[in-house]
Amino acid sequence: MSEIYIMCVDDEPDVLEAVERDLSSFEDVFPLEAASSAEEARSVLQQIESKGDELAVIFCDHVMPGETGVELLEWMEQTDTFKNTRKALLTGQAGLDATIQAVNRASLDFYIQKPWTKDSLLSIARDLLTQYVLESGRNPLPYMTMLNAEEVAKAMHEGGLISDE
Amino acid sequence: MKAKTLIGLVLGLAAFLMAILNPLPGLSLAGSIALGIFLMAAVFWILEPIPIYATSMLVILLQVMLLSSQGLIFSVRNVPTVVLRETTGEFDFLAPASAISGEGFVYQKDADNALRQIAVEQLNIANAEWITIRSETIDPSLPLIQDANHRAITGGAYSYSKFYATLASPIIMLFLGGFALAASAVKFGLDKNLTRVLLKPFGSQPSSVCLGLMLCTGALSAFMSNTATTAMMMTVALPIVGSLPKADPFRKGVALAIPVAANIGGIATPIGTPPNAVALAALRDSGISISFASWMAMATPFAVILLIVAWRLVLWLFKPETDRFEINIKGKFQTSPKAIIAYLVFAGTILLWLTEKLHGISTSMVAFIPVALLPAFGVLDKKDIRGFSWEVLWLVAGGISLGLSMKDTGLASWLIGQVSWHSFGGLGVVIAFGLCGYILSNLISNTVTATIITPLAITVGVALSSQGGFNLVSAIVAITVMVSCSMILAISTPPNAIAMSCGIIDTKDLARSGLLVGLIGIVLAILMHLLYWPMLT
Repeated sequence: MSEIYIMCVDDEPDVLEAVERDLSSFEDVFPLEAASSAEEARSVLQQIESKGDELAVIFCDHVMPGETGVELLEWMEQTDTFKNTRKALLTGQAGLDATIQAVNRASLDFYIQKPWTKDSLLSIARDLLTQYVLESGRNPLPYMTMLNAEEVAKAMHEGGLISDE
Repeated sequence: MKAKTLIGLVLGLAAFLMAILNPLPGLSLAGSIALGIFLMAAVFWILEPIPIYATSMLVILLQVMLLSSQGLIFSVRNVPTVVLRETTGEFDFLAPASAISGEGFVYQKDADNALRQIAVEQLNIANAEWITIRSETIDPSLPLIQDANHRAITGGAYSYSKFYATLASPIIMLFLGGFALAASAVKFGLDKNLTRVLLKPFGSQPSSVCLGLMLCTGALSAFMSNTATTAMMMTVALPIVGSLPKADPFRKGVALAIPVAANIGGIATPIGTPPNAVALAALRDSGISISFASWMAMATPFAVILLIVAWRLVLWLFKPETDRFEINIKGKFQTSPKAIIAYLVFAGTILLWLTEKLHGISTSMVAFIPVALLPAFGVLDKKDIRGFSWEVLWLVAGGISLGLSMKDTGLASWLIGQVSWHSFGGLGVVIAFGLCGYILSNLISNTVTATIITPLAITVGVALSSQGGFNLVSAIVAITVMVSCSMILAISTPPNAIAMSCGIIDTKDLARSGLLVGLIGIVLAILMHLLYWPMLT
């Protein structure tokens, strides 16, 4: 079965480390990838794509040397493999224009203002992962411990994701 | 490709080829092919290199291509034929001696290359080659097969359309009706609202709320899929379970009570769970049809008793520490015209199912009322219809189709002939099949288990019941019920898998309670088979 990844992109090593630490509880089910620039992120994305794996959620900084976070998200929105990836900006410096662009052109799913709290990040990650897995139409049970169980149960009840066999 | 997938594919194909290329003594060519398909399907169903419904579809394809009277092996397309010669009498014809089988049948092929078997009376031997035969049903315009011992005839082949027809068999239509009802109930929140109302009288005492939850789950899963019921109950119970202290064993108790009750509830009605369909189809094929009400008369008392035992067991294993456990479900019954129609059709269909004795319209015929009326009133739209679990219907249809060939090619009789069942006695046969089914269905899908063992069980059963003193219906119900009692592992049933995935219970909790409930279920099934069910049939 293909892996479903979570990715964090930030040019500040301290921030990247903190996000990784906060999200480490997901790692058994959703492996975590980190990148320190949009360019590095792209090469990781290409690896994920070439293995036939998927990216469920990306937490991305905006202001980085080289390509910006919003540009990266916009590019992802235009590729088939990462169109359905849930996209979150984790930033302190995205201006109104960049944010509007992210919402309109990259279907931004969440805007997280730095500094964040661990609990809020966890609950946002959980909700975004749940949305992704349910939308993908795959059997959600192997991932359910890390998802919003109530939402998954509701989708299984209403959507008939799995049936009696 | 994963190793398990590869092993499954190789083993399955090897079994298929082995059976066909090494004919076993006593088995006809058609029987060998049926054995090959059976073994391959069993391997595929157990190891799942391809999805189990895909295996069922493959079974039908192989039957159509290899076992039908139009297929690659038993085709009558190129078989030499002759034209019947008219003679003096109205129903008398002249046929070549070779065209009449030892049992006194002649065979014709129709426009669709399907084989017709016609019993004839042999009047006189005109000469060595041509015999005068008499039959009122023979159609003189159709070609007569020249050699009654041709491979295409001794294969005992069906027209391919017979295999396709299993998808529209009355039992499949019964399930389709169940799916339509369940879909409308989910769409308009009937199941959740019923739960809200039914749970109220159980108050806030943990043990009685637990009983309420289990009875509700059981009642709903008798009419809806066990999986959908479990999912719905989890949405109701999870928030409250989450609010209990982490150390309270009752958290686990509630999370276990729901899947256990859903598994048991499925037993209660014909449409409760797909293994019931397999049993009903097999009985039907042996000329016994069972109404909705008579299945319920047999299975519902079983389910209710087992539910209550399971309730006490859950409370004993996971004694509540909290003294208050209240489930408050928000909502009210929808009153839009479509919702009202959904309620009426639901109630009306069940009422008609239960009153077959009064009106004589069979269960499977009634089942088409919701299928036709719900879309007609716009209660279900095309998206809802697409949402039915069609793969389950294919799964069951493939099983019914395989059962046809097993019976018809003599494979089932041959297989059971390998064991001297008479030495087991009637009860021994039920226990042996029931236990095999129970063990197998803990590891693989219940429906697949029923599909594999029911054709064999019914063949033994028919042989035993022809000698008297053996109640076939009771035996098949007992075996089917035991298959549904499997709930030890997360993989045993989808409700177990859902409960495990919620992260409240672990493998050990499930194994302990699942094993106990299952074993009690088996004992109860045997007792009812001995004491209660034979009284009803």
